[in-house]
Amino acid sequence: MSELSLKAVSPLNGYHRDFIGISLTEITNKALVSIATPVGGEVKLASAIKKSFNIKMPEVGFSANSENEDAVFLGMQPDLMFVYFDHSADSADTFISQQLKNCGYYSDQTDSWVMVSLTGPMVRCALERICSLDLHPEAFPSGKVSRTVMEHLGVIIYRATPDKFILFSARSSARSFLHALEISIINATEQVEK
Amino acid sequence: MTQAFRVSSGLVDQSRTLDFTFNGKKYEGHPGDTLASALLANGQKLIGRSFKYHRPRGIFSAGSEEPNALVQLRNGQFLEPNTRATITELFGGLEATSQNHRGSLKYDMMAVTDLLSPFLTAGFYYKTFMWPKAFWEKIYEPVIRSSAGLGSLSKLPDPDQYDKGFLHCDVLIVGSGPSGISAALAAGRAGARVIMAEEDFVFGGRLNAETYEVDGKPGCQWASETVAELASMDNVRLMPRTTIYGSFDHGIYGALERAGDHLESGSGKPRQILWRIYSKHAILAAGATERPIAFGNNDRPGIMLAGALRAYVNRWGVVPGRRIAIFTNNDDGWRSAFDLANCGIEISAIIDSREIAPLAAPGGTAVIMGGRIVDTSGRRAIKSVTLANGEKIHTDCLAVSGGWNPNVHLTCHQRGRPIWNDDISAFIPGENIPLQMSVVGAACGAMTLQTAMHEGIEAANNIAGQLGRKPKQFAKPRCEDESFNIAPFWHVAESRTRAWLDLQNDVTSKDIKLAWQEGFRSVEHLKRYTTLGMGTDQGKIANVPALAVMAECTGKSISETGTTIFRPPYTPVPIGAFAGRSRGKEFRPTRYSPSHQWASEQGAVFVEAGQWKRAQWFPQEGETHWRQSVNREVVQTRSSVGVCDVTTLGKIDIQGRDAAAFLNKVYVNGFAKLAIGKTRYGLMLREDGIAMDDGTTARLAEHHYVMTTTTANAVSVFRHMEFCRQCLWPDMDVHMISVTEQWAQYAVAGPNARKLLQKVVDADFDISNDPFPFMACGEITVCNGKPARLFRISFSGELAYEIAVPTRYGDALVRILMQEGEEFDVVAYGTEALGVMRIEKGHAAGNELNGQTSARDLGMGRMVSKKKDCIGNILSEREAMNRDDGLTMVGFFPVERSESLTAGAHFIEIGMQPATENDQGWMSSVAYSPTLGHSIGIGFIKRGHARMGERVRAVDLVHSNDIEVEIVSPHFVDPQGERLRV
Repeated sequence: MSELSLKAVSPLNGYHRDFIGISLTEITNKALVSIATPVGGEVKLASAIKKSFNIKMPEVGFSANSENEDAVFLGMQPDLMFVYFDHSADSADTFISQQLKNCGYYSDQTDSWVMVSLTGPMVRCALERICSLDLHPEAFPSGKVSRTVMEHLGVIIYRATPDKFILFSARSSARSFLHALEISIINATEQVEK
Repeated sequence: MTQAFRVSSGLVDQSRTLDFTFNGKKYEGHPGDTLASALLANGQKLIGRSFKYHRPRGIFSAGSEEPNALVQLRNGQFLEPNTRATITELFGGLEATSQNHRGSLKYDMMAVTDLLSPFLTAGFYYKTFMWPKAFWEKIYEPVIRSSAGLGSLSKLPDPDQYDKGFLHCDVLIVGSGPSGISAALAAGRAGARVIMAEEDFVFGGRLNAETYEVDGKPGCQWASETVAELASMDNVRLMPRTTIYGSFDHGIYGALERAGDHLESGSGKPRQILWRIYSKHAILAAGATERPIAFGNNDRPGIMLAGALRAYVNRWGVVPGRRIAIFTNNDDGWRSAFDLANCGIEISAIIDSREIAPLAAPGGTAVIMGGRIVDTSGRRAIKSVTLANGEKIHTDCLAVSGGWNPNVHLTCHQRGRPIWNDDISAFIPGENIPLQMSVVGAACGAMTLQTAMHEGIEAANNIAGQLGRKPKQFAKPRCEDESFNIAPFWHVAESRTRAWLDLQNDVTSKDIKLAWQEGFRSVEHLKRYTTLGMGTDQGKIANVPALAVMAECTGKSISETGTTIFRPPYTPVPIGAFAGRSRGKEFRPTRYSPSHQWASEQGAVFVEAGQWKRAQWFPQEGETHWRQSVNREVVQTRSSVGVCDVTTLGKIDIQGRDAAAFLNKVYVNGFAKLAIGKTRYGLMLREDGIAMDDGTTARLAEHHYVMTTTTANAVSVFRHMEFCRQCLWPDMDVHMISVTEQWAQYAVAGPNARKLLQKVVDADFDISNDPFPFMACGEITVCNGKPARLFRISFSGELAYEIAVPTRYGDALVRILMQEGEEFDVVAYGTEALGVMRIEKGHAAGNELNGQTSARDLGMGRMVSKKKDCIGNILSEREAMNRDDGLTMVGFFPVERSESLTAGAHFIEIGMQPATENDQGWMSSVAYSPTLGHSIGIGFIKRGHARMGERVRAVDLVHSNDIEVEIVSPHFVDPQGERLRV
């Protein structure tokens, strides 16, 4: 057998930086899989999700959290969900397929996106420099998810807690996205190296 | 003596001193000063020179409407011209210089133009300099241009930072004067999400400039206390130094926050932030702007608006003169006299154009009712005024009030027209104001304090109710409802000298009359002919008096005469603020392929392909020309094996029970019968039958395909197919998601491609020719179990594969391929070699799929299956697209092999003129073929297939090329396709 092996590289090499009031961290231990609902298969898919993850399918724009694999189902559009869950190995779609069988169409999206978390009390101040969405807790409470655009980059934004946002943006432009976030944080807050 | 004109009153912090310079001379001011107030405190009245006649000008107002006191701030790269001293917040170390003069400010050589004024009236440049004709471009225009303009740009890159942002609120309150603060208080207490924006650096508006009392305390104190309460509310955002410059659709407002203009440069933060504010409701509480009266020589330094005078006295503790005269047509002008008297300033006279005095003047003050100033004296500062009866009054400052214009600008930004109100002799908002906007206070014509405050509260409570919030009941502030009576009086007709209407553009009442005499009847034409209302102040104080003069000319009322429309921005917005942080390499995002780091280490030269950075070629030591590198990459690939990153190609994952049927509809050729484990080339047409994109689609499972698109069309093809899925065939069970970023994909091409891949593909998978023939595909594993996909497809014409791994392994895979390929002398090749090999093979690419060519033109007409329907099928049958003399894609050799072909050349028959009527087609792609040893090209020419061997000319008039070429097959290399099937 060949001795060759492939070493994985994350889009931002495991970036982490603390600023006053904000921590910006690349997420590297999660997977992202898209689940498309077959036409006419909504009930069957919902039932499978209930059975495997013990949650209801989320409405579009909202999420549903499961204790199984710490999975979060994100309602993206009428026939599409993303599931974001603990998984460091390859072929995340295979894992979901094993859970939900043939009730949906699955596509591994883990490597398509750079995933970052923004945490801290100043997060909204930074995001208001690049995010056109209203992130006030009344308008965008915890659990809400949306597609949007930041600095010309497509972004999926999910509010995990009042002070924690998870952002997904295209992997190839991860460096531009990171720069946009860093500049927003620096412009809106004071920076502290740790 | 420093600050000789400072008095102990006012709101500035006189316990601290700030040093600044004006034209290099050192001055002192205090925190809370503007540059204008600090200069006045130091007795500096001459601030600048006028635009056209270079007349001495001073400080005329105390706000953003300032027409005269334009200065340059800072120096070097930080230089900013045309800045209004009246809104420039003073800071220690501020450097200001005057502008628009040659020589010193005091002795401006360009002031000679004032002597030439009889020849320089409105529109002079339309009727002067007409002869001789040639002089216009060579002499007149250069001279005029060098004389025109106000400040100067540094012509250096702007080192300051700018940013943008987005805000949301229930209620946006524009202005923080009495009505604005009242509205914010009511809305804030009701729990609404409030933004209150104020262009000044202190909240309070006229409450800081007047001596009004509110709830028994000074108005400025009430404002300060109320703002403190607002600041304590989580639901209220206070934005000082922020101008709402535009009202746009759907409750969106543009705002410019001057976040760092009051700081010395180098704060490390953006100096200005351009906000887009999304509001559910807006309350316009922008107040009003005072206007002057036009009379002879009314532009001398020391002449200013009466309200501005009160602001300097009451807010900044500055008295602009020792012996001050007042000229007014309304009660408000009289307030100046009382405020001055309270400070012990001598008032030389109150001159009121009305016949009956409205109030008793402060003791000892001369009052001249029915008075009119016809002239003034004093070259660099006013010394006296002359009345119509010949009386001369000595004064060193003249305060003028011709009434107040409500600041209706934002109500007009969506084509709303203001209406004339005779009660206040001014325009007020019309009925057609932006949706969800309320206008309160002076902006709506409510010119008294109590009315303004109550309007603000009522508007906010009303909005709170609409938002479903319960307004909090609280006692409305008690305050004076002062008198406001005005008798319209626009200009002094008896004046024999020039009476200035627009101080910034040097437009006089005579200019307006001249424009009317010359036939300009529309106010829009008047504006453009005279330049009235242009420049940084946009006529905030000039327009209405000028309209009144025009109305007199026409014999109509001002209402009938109309007004010009107000457009954004309300006040100037720097271009830098519009650009924000989108500068330099951050102008747009950059996309990097998975091999970018490795390619950089190899010294690759990159090219921008859309947002992607792609390796163009990999120069080696000793190579001095890019073509040497490209030739080597091509030759080495064709002789052994090469590796190229093709990750940037679009990849779309397609799943569903109807996926095959769906592909049948979007591609011209059939996909329903494509076997699992096979790949097929597909061509996609637009609805009009023109080729849209091409690529390969592989069938991974019964209901699972993966499509590739060109790099350029990755997004547009996905969008097109989503449109088809959602709108054309919504009942189909088909689902798509982009996986372009999910997979790192490399082309491995050349006779040794299989041998190289066999070293990385796990032994479980046999990729030899029989089990894995040309156009096969499969999901495999590589390097001990890592998931991968393998496609046996070829763009180069060689035995070739494309291998894809999850992007996280992309960097590692290219390193392993290059390492394991050493025994085959593997070469990395870039987009140039990729292009050369595809031209040698005769494959169409972006140059050929240019939005003008059909499947037939591309030589793929027979691919358009008539056994099924597909997008573009019907319209591709149009007669014009199927003419016998239609274009066909063919190849071209230069007859003289040493000549180089150029893309874009047009084909002309030998002996014919290179003219449109003789055009036979065009060369779309060219390359130097290292395989053939000469230049080759692909192009479109009429009846191409029937003309093999024929010679024509390839004429490129842009590059002065005229080359005789021979029409050949586009498949220059391995036309039978034997190499890729071995």
